[in-house]
Amino acid sequence: MASADGMVEEAVSAVRRTSGSRGAALNSLVSRLPLTPSLSPRKRTTSQSKTEPPLLRTSKRTIYTAGRPPWYNETGTPFKEAFVIGLCGGSASGKTTVANKIIEALDVPWVVLLSMDSFYKVLNKEQQEQAACNEYNFDHPDAFDFDLLISVLRKLKEGKSVKVPVYDFTTHSRRKEWKTIYGANVIVFEGILSFANKELLQLLDMKVFVDTDSDIRLVRRLKRDIMERGRDVAGVIKQYSKFVKPAFEQYIEPTMQAADIVVPRGGENFVALDLIVQHVHSQLEKREITVRAALASAHQGQPLPTTLSVLESTPQVRGMHTIIRNKDTSRDEFIFYSKRLMRLLIEHALSFLPLKPVIVETPQGTVYDGKRFHRQRITGVSILRAGETMEQALTAVCKDIRLGKILIQTNHDTGEPELHYLRLPKEISEDYVILMDSTVSTGAAAMMAIRVLLDHDVQEDRIFLLSLLMAEMGVHSVAYAFPRVRIITTAVDKRVNEEFHIIPGIGNFGDRYFGTDGTIPWYENDDMDC
Amino acid sequence: MLVRELSSTGQSGGGLAFRVATNRRVCRKAEGQHVHHSTRLALCYARTASRGDFVFSADRLIRLVVEEGLNRLPYTECTVTTPTGYKYEGVKFEKGNCGVSIMRSGEAMEQGLRDCCRSIRIGKILIQSDEETQRAKVYYAKFPPDIYRRKVLLMYPILSTGNTVIEAVKVLIEHGVQPNVIILLSLFSTPHGAKSIIQEFPDITILTTEVHPVAPTHFGQKYFGTD
Repeated sequence: MASADGMVEEAVSAVRRTSGSRGAALNSLVSRLPLTPSLSPRKRTTSQSKTEPPLLRTSKRTIYTAGRPPWYNETGTPFKEAFVIGLCGGSASGKTTVANKIIEALDVPWVVLLSMDSFYKVLNKEQQEQAACNEYNFDHPDAFDFDLLISVLRKLKEGKSVKVPVYDFTTHSRRKEWKTIYGANVIVFEGILSFANKELLQLLDMKVFVDTDSDIRLVRRLKRDIMERGRDVAGVIKQYSKFVKPAFEQYIEPTMQAADIVVPRGGENFVALDLIVQHVHSQLEKREITVRAALASAHQGQPLPTTLSVLESTPQVRGMHTIIRNKDTSRDEFIFYSKRLMRLLIEHALSFLPLKPVIVETPQGTVYDGKRFHRQRITGVSILRAGETMEQALTAVCKDIRLGKILIQTNHDTGEPELHYLRLPKEISEDYVILMDSTVSTGAAAMMAIRVLLDHDVQEDRIFLLSLLMAEMGVHSVAYAFPRVRIITTAVDKRVNEEFHIIPGIGNFGDRYFGTDGTIPWYENDDMDC
Repeated sequence: MLVRELSSTGQSGGGLAFRVATNRRVCRKAEGQHVHHSTRLALCYARTASRGDFVFSADRLIRLVVEEGLNRLPYTECTVTTPTGYKYEGVKFEKGNCGVSIMRSGEAMEQGLRDCCRSIRIGKILIQSDEETQRAKVYYAKFPPDIYRRKVLLMYPILSTGNTVIEAVKVLIEHGVQPNVIILLSLFSTPHGAKSIIQEFPDITILTTEVHPVAPTHFGQKYFGTD
C-alpha cells in the first residue's frame, strides 16, 4: 500500500493558499473559506441562493467533488492555458478579500490562489537586522524574486505541476518544504507589485487593480500590524512613511495604467466583482472541447503501434481470459483469475525495464554474470477505481515500490473524463512509472492520467501503461497522443460500442471485482459475505 | 522430451541478480529432437543476499515456471458470453492434474502452484542422498490414489546431477504414471543434470529458468533458513 511519507498533496481542491505570509490577518480569512468544495458548501456573494456542494449521485456512484475536464486535445498536448487573473493594489487595499470573493463567486473547481508574498527574497543577515528595526524595504521591487515568480506562474499557466516556496516572515527565509500546486484552470495572482514587471504582465489574462483610499489602507495596516503582529505604533508608522507610501506612489499607483478594471472600495464593490466573474466565465466557456468524441472518430483501421506489447496468448492466458470474460463467472473466481493474469502482465512489463550487467559472487565461490535493473526508481500509479486492483500484483514483484493514485471519472452529461483526485509520490520526474488501469476502451482516462504524469515532468518514454484488456481504439488514441509511452496489455479487442464498452470485453471490471454491479440478486448468499 | 528455459527477463532485488542471454540451444537429443532453449532468465545468488530477498526472488521465478508448466496441460476450445452480451472464443482446461513435490526443496514450489491452482492435489516424495554412497534413496512417497491417470507437475528446484529426479520418476512409474505426462518444474539445471534425466526418460518434459554449469546448490538451506 501507499506509504504516508513521500506523498505530496496536490492542489486539486478548489482554493489553495500559497502563502501564509500575511499571517494571522490572512489566516482569519482563510478559516472562513472552505479548503475543499466537497466538505462545506460555498457561499455565493452574488446571488441570494446558496449553492449546493458539487455532489453528483447516480444509481451507481456518488461523486463529491467537481472534476477537471480535459485540458489537452486528442494529440495529448495542452490546448488551453490556465486563465490568470492578476490583482494589484497597495498594501492593505483588500486584494486578498477581492481574490477570495472572485473565487467564491466563480464557483468553478481547480482555482489556484497564488500570492506574491511567497516570492519575497531570502534575506541575508544584515538585511534581517534591518528588517527587525523596520529598516528593510519590503515594498520595493528588489524585495521580490521576479525570476522565480515568472517561471512558476508561466509553468502553472501551462498546466505543469509547480513548486511554490513558502516564505517564513519570522526568519525571512523560505521554508524547507515547498508547496506543490497542480491542475489550475484559473489562477488568481495577487500582490502589491503584480503589474510591476513587463514579462509578468504578459502572463496575466485579466488585470484588476484594487483601488482603496490611502487613509483606509493606513488604518487597516495599523490595526493589523499592532493587533495581530504585536508591533508598536511608532514602528508601523515609520515603516509606512519611509517605505510603504513612497513605494506605492512610485511603483504601484502608476501600474494602474495597465489594469483592465479598477475596482474602487475593494471587496465591497459587488458590481465590479460581478463583471469580473462574468467575464471569466465567458472566457472559460470558449475553451471547452470534447476529447472523447475526437478520440472515437480517429485512427480507424490503422495498424497497431509498435509501442504496444501484448502478452503472449498462451493456453493459460486464454484460459484465464475465458474465465474472467464469462458473465457467469462467480466473483471469487473472477478475482482469483484476474489477479493471476495481472501478475503475468506485470512480470511482462518489468521485462521492458533497462538492465545492466552485474557480476555477483555465489556461495560456492564462483562468479555469476547477472543483470540488474539499474536506472531510477519504479513508481506505480493506479487509475482509481479499477486500476487499484493491480497494485497488489505490482507490490508482489517490486518490493518497497511507491504508489500513487489518480481518480478519473466520466462526466455523464458530457461523456468526458474528469480529474477528481490526485496523490503522487514526491519527485517522480526521474522514475519509471507503471500506470495501471484494468481496462482501456477509448483511452480517454489513460490519456488524462498520462497527461498528469507529463505535467509532473515524468519522461514520456518512462511511462508504462498497463491494462488487462484494451480496445484497438484506446491503443491508437494513446499511441497517437503519446508515441513514446509503452502500452502493455494481455489482450486487444477490436471494437467499442456506443457506450464506450469494449466488445466482446470483460464487462465493468471494477464493478465485477468489487461487487458493486447491480446484477447481484438480493438473496445471493456468498459464504464470504459479511 | 523437452527442456525449455523460460523466455523472460528479470529484475533484481537486494543482492540477487538475474541474467538474460540470447537464444541458444543447449543440448540436442540423440534422436534429433532438439531441446528448446530460448531467452533465459537466471537467478544467481550472491553470498550477501539476505534470506528475505532470496525467498522473494525465488518465489517470483517459481511463479513463472509454474505458469509455464500449466501452459503444457491439456485444454479444449470453448465459447463464453461476456457481460456485454457478446461471444468470446476461449479455452477450458481439463481436470485430472496433480502436483508432486520432491522433499525437501521441492516443497518450496508448492505455494507457487497453489497460488495458481487453489485446489490442486499435491503428492510428496522424500528422497535423501545416502551419506556413504552419495546415491539418492527414497524414504517416503504419498500420492493421490488415482495418480496413474493424472498429469503430473513434478517440482524440484535444482537439477545438479539429476539423480534425485530420476529416482522420483521411478517412484511415479511404479505408481502407474507414464513418463510422457510428467512435466518437471525446476529453477536451475546443469546441462549434465538435464541430459542424464532425458537419457533415462526421453519422454519427460523439463522446464527450467536457466541451464548453467554451476547450479546454486544451497537453495534448500537458503530458502528454508537452515544454513
